[in-house]
Amino acid sequence: MEKNLAKDIGFWVMLGIGLAVMFIGPMVWGLFEIMQITQYVVLSVYALSLAYIWGFGGILSFGQAAFFGLGAYTFAVASINIGETTLPFALSFILPALFGAALGYFMFYGRLSDVYLGVVTMVVTLIFWKLINHTAGPEYSIGAARLGGFNGIPSIPILNVPGDAGAWLDPAQMFQVFMGILIIVYLCLRLIIASDFGRVSVGIRENETRASLLGYDIRRHKVIVFAIGSGIAGMSGAMWATYQTFIDPNAFSMEMSAKALVWVMAGGVGTLAGPILAVILLQWLSLKLGTMHILNNYFILGAILMGLVLLLPRGLLPSVRMLAERLWHMGRQKMEENAASRKATSDV
Amino acid sequence: MSDDAHILTTDKLLMQFGGVTAVDNVDFSLKEGELRCLLGPNGAGKSTFFKCLTGQLTPTAGTVRFRGEDVTGWNTHDIVNLGVGIKTQVPNLFNGISVYENIRMAARRKHLKPMAREKAEAMMEKCGVAHLAKREVGLLAHGQRQLVELAMVLAEEPSLVLLDEPAAGMTGDERDRLADLVLETARSAAVIVVEHDMAFIRRIAKFVTVFNRGAIFREAMIDEILSDRAVQEIYLGKQADVAA
Repeated sequence: MEKNLAKDIGFWVMLGIGLAVMFIGPMVWGLFEIMQITQYVVLSVYALSLAYIWGFGGILSFGQAAFFGLGAYTFAVASINIGETTLPFALSFILPALFGAALGYFMFYGRLSDVYLGVVTMVVTLIFWKLINHTAGPEYSIGAARLGGFNGIPSIPILNVPGDAGAWLDPAQMFQVFMGILIIVYLCLRLIIASDFGRVSVGIRENETRASLLGYDIRRHKVIVFAIGSGIAGMSGAMWATYQTFIDPNAFSMEMSAKALVWVMAGGVGTLAGPILAVILLQWLSLKLGTMHILNNYFILGAILMGLVLLLPRGLLPSVRMLAERLWHMGRQKMEENAASRKATSDV
Repeated sequence: MSDDAHILTTDKLLMQFGGVTAVDNVDFSLKEGELRCLLGPNGAGKSTFFKCLTGQLTPTAGTVRFRGEDVTGWNTHDIVNLGVGIKTQVPNLFNGISVYENIRMAARRKHLKPMAREKAEAMMEKCGVAHLAKREVGLLAHGQRQLVELAMVLAEEPSLVLLDEPAAGMTGDERDRLADLVLETARSAAVIVVEHDMAFIRRIAKFVTVFNRGAIFREAMIDEILSDRAVQEIYLGKQADVAA
């Protein structure tokens, strides 16, 4: 009766597609495609961070970019100072996760309602954005890394083989490593969701009062969920920074936060594969529209999103799933009717 | 009687919302293993009283003691973890997930995984919702939701069970099953039942507490309560000027 991850076809399909893309992709794609798809992979990890906390923890954060940017800057500053990227990459998860836990502590133990939670996360992002924009002078340096204000930090080291600072990854290798990270994040989140902790998180999302009436400390649960999501967002920020070898305050922008919300909403809240699908579709669409110069890119994207929300309010993946189930039932019904009519004919 | 024999006591419990007094200096006590019914018209303060007991509301004044320990102002989950289970007036369930998952989540608080599974299955059977195991709770009828919530409460194996209008919206058969369940539960735990259904009350109750305007109006055996004119007038909605 319990949902078993090992028996979940969708999980194995996603895993199979992920592994196939990871190993076959670099053999068939050119450099441009690899670079492009690497971007989708990084943003997918970022989208998963919100997909988890919103869809499976009921925490609607308007400030996921705060953790994305924090991870990106942590990686940039640490890798410039250390010279090797393994520890900075780990720090890009740890520091945002700790910051998320601290912020979550005040929000959830302070019993902030959903609306105020949205406002607080948004304001924290804006504070970061404003703060980092005002660090242009040479006095704003951490070790050898100048924060650079609105100019950002250039020459961020490319990810290297752990322990060998000189062995930088080429684009195809970076793509494979990032695909591996995406698969691991997806796998870990699925395992967390399938665990008792994950079930309680879903319970809290469904009904906080009942969860506390069963004796679960909902505040502690939410802090942990929020910290995990913050860590993943931070790690995706580091991936973004090393992929571009550059980071600027736009990592903390409202646009970056809004993008995550849009991907999760369009892909389907309460799914993990949906937001990944939405990242790929919407980023690809964005690229295509950008090259066509017909209308403003954002205008067309906005119209598409409004259409999605109105026509598929549950998001892409749940709608596709529902359609598939309906077709399956219709097909089965038809087959049963045919079998019954054949039997009736043979009886006559 | 000493506090040791009581599972629950309240001392001058007061709950005010602005100028409205919902619970008015209530001194209440319940013995270990006792089954008590709370009666009273709508707005008498019964549900608010339950919320004060479970920490969903922090009382304005007074104390709540569970087995002698002062739990006033504690967090809900801390009070629940002492062994209190509550079925709320409007069923509080995890609507988006299955009946089985709802009950299993309750059983998991006390039991390891395999035992929790067994416990959940046993409680579904006991409360007559086993045939609904895979159904999404949000799609069930009100009476079925009441039974699911009851199964969740029992799966926690509490020593104090609070049932707020458990028979509301139930069919005759479901009500009969519920009465049996309440009586069976009362053999191993203290139970407080808030209910308006007199036939149901007659079937389960011995000692009854009547609430009116947030205060305790009468405490007596069920037969005495039912023949009490003042109580009848309260229930008929008359503003009876009767001395308590």
